[in-house]
Amino acid sequence: MGIVDLDRLEVRLGGRIVLNGLTGELRGNAIGLLGPNGAGKSTLINTLLGFHLPSSGGARVFGLDSRHDRARIRQGIGYMPENDSFIGNLSGVRFVRYMAELAGLPPGEALERAHEALFYVGLGEVRYRKVSTYSLGMKQLIKLAQALAHGPKLLILDEPTNGLDPVARQRMIQTIKEIRKAGSIRLLISSHLLRDIDETCDEVLILKDGRIAALCNIEEERRSHRNFIELETAGATEQFAVNVRGLGCECASFPGGRIKLVMPDRLEARDLYVIAGEQGVQIRRMSQRRDSLEDIFLRAMGNEGQAANVGL
Amino acid sequence: MSVYKHDYRAYSGRITPAWARVGVLVRYGLAEAWSSKITIGLGLASMIPFIIFLIQIYLANNPATRLLVSRNNLRFLDVDAEYFLRALEAQCWFALPLMSWVAPRLITYDLADSALPILLSHPISRFGYVLGKFVAAFASLASVTVLPCLVLFVYQCYCAPPGWTMANLSIAFGIVAGTTIWITLLSMVGLAFSSWVKWRTLATGVIFAAVLVPAGVGGIVTAVLRTRWGMLLNLPFMMTQLWQRLLGVPEMVRTARDWSLPSAAILVMLIASCLVCAAMLNARIRGREVVRG
Repeated sequence: MGIVDLDRLEVRLGGRIVLNGLTGELRGNAIGLLGPNGAGKSTLINTLLGFHLPSSGGARVFGLDSRHDRARIRQGIGYMPENDSFIGNLSGVRFVRYMAELAGLPPGEALERAHEALFYVGLGEVRYRKVSTYSLGMKQLIKLAQALAHGPKLLILDEPTNGLDPVARQRMIQTIKEIRKAGSIRLLISSHLLRDIDETCDEVLILKDGRIAALCNIEEERRSHRNFIELETAGATEQFAVNVRGLGCECASFPGGRIKLVMPDRLEARDLYVIAGEQGVQIRRMSQRRDSLEDIFLRAMGNEGQAANVGL
Repeated sequence: MSVYKHDYRAYSGRITPAWARVGVLVRYGLAEAWSSKITIGLGLASMIPFIIFLIQIYLANNPATRLLVSRNNLRFLDVDAEYFLRALEAQCWFALPLMSWVAPRLITYDLADSALPILLSHPISRFGYVLGKFVAAFASLASVTVLPCLVLFVYQCYCAPPGWTMANLSIAFGIVAGTTIWITLLSMVGLAFSSWVKWRTLATGVIFAAVLVPAGVGGIVTAVLRTRWGMLLNLPFMMTQLWQRLLGVPEMVRTARDWSLPSAAILVMLIASCLVCAAMLNARIRGREVVRG
């Protein structure tokens, strides 16, 4: 059983199909939800929270049906919405306490956890100020604090770095990494910023036009492309390339002594140095390129309309 | 754990039962509503007629005052159903400005800052949310309507000769039923219109208008078409008639007979109003808005 199981999930809003037959199992500790604007990321989150009912199929969170077990699902979820969402008239600590009490914590514990959560996200010093006086970065952080205060099993962050300056963004990313490292909370992070997902997630679900464009483990995906090598050489480059092909590599030469090759698993980089030594070729630079999330994303976007499970 | 230890820890303590979450909304709602000095002022102002009526009961049951009254043959000290109708009307009309002020504080703060997605992402349903706010509004109004009126009745029972209580128990029933109907309707109207107007001050005006403008329209319809059914839009008139009947006050005392409306028609109109308000709340109180098209 995954954290989130999608079974031919279809959601219609206003007569339009927004999510179209999503099927998959999300298992990672930190799952990234990627896709261009309008791909259905927020709709998927809202469906998991029970705000939207599936028109067909279904979704399960920790094995609980999103249609029938909404209260139990919400009990175990901390949700940080994308847009401003707070009660500006309350002080920070009162707001977080209120949310914790709504999540089921007794008043005393809720107050204690509210203080802790605010210190944890870095709002300890401003916790008695009204939320309406907070800066944009602080408002993002207080949304995170209220999502954490009741100790959820799954933390859903919808565009957590939305509108943050670089320093605030880095702080938010660092906090998310710390939460992930603590290990007691699973994360589902929606973003259209690849870098945010790249830095924080180990699994990614890419949506396009309401369909799954890719669902993959980022690390495994990178590992499967680890033998792609770029070389900058000087000397008898053409002969070197011929010999490398003779070892079973796919190889392409470019002007200026640049060579790109994909090595079979049985070969190692050392073998290239041996051939270069024999040919009197200098290897001036070697980069073993890892697939970036951008590559995975662009590949997924290229698979137009296909619900492909990429290497799960 | 001390707050300065910034590590995150999971919560493994006691969880309150699901029904208690509504209580959380009520508690925070009441705190928000009564944190305003204007609410306190309105609450205190509503005590003025209550105190006057309380003094009147004291005087009515005071032997020396009774002696004076009987000498001058004055009726104003009679404590009967009509007396309680006057008290009920006074208290209930104080509830209108109070509701106009309190209801927007209960709802519009949540809507103005788009707090509903966060609130409803917790284990509480939309119905639970509205119920919590409704109970907060109802309790606020009850404190200036049903409670003072019942206190007056109990005080009269205490002061009056034996036998008065049993002979007039129907007045207590009328007070409870009349105020309950009124503050239920007022709470629904207040919450429904507050949910549609994000600007708090404007919401206050809109709630007033929602009660008074249809009354004016109803009066015009009645006058132009020469039909009593236009009075079905006149909430103050309908409620006065209903209170008269619930307290057992003869109608000729209060209104012209040819305008009187059947109780069933009044109740249907009040229920229809509540249903419209419920539909308005259902359309607005959502975790997410659905954009059609």
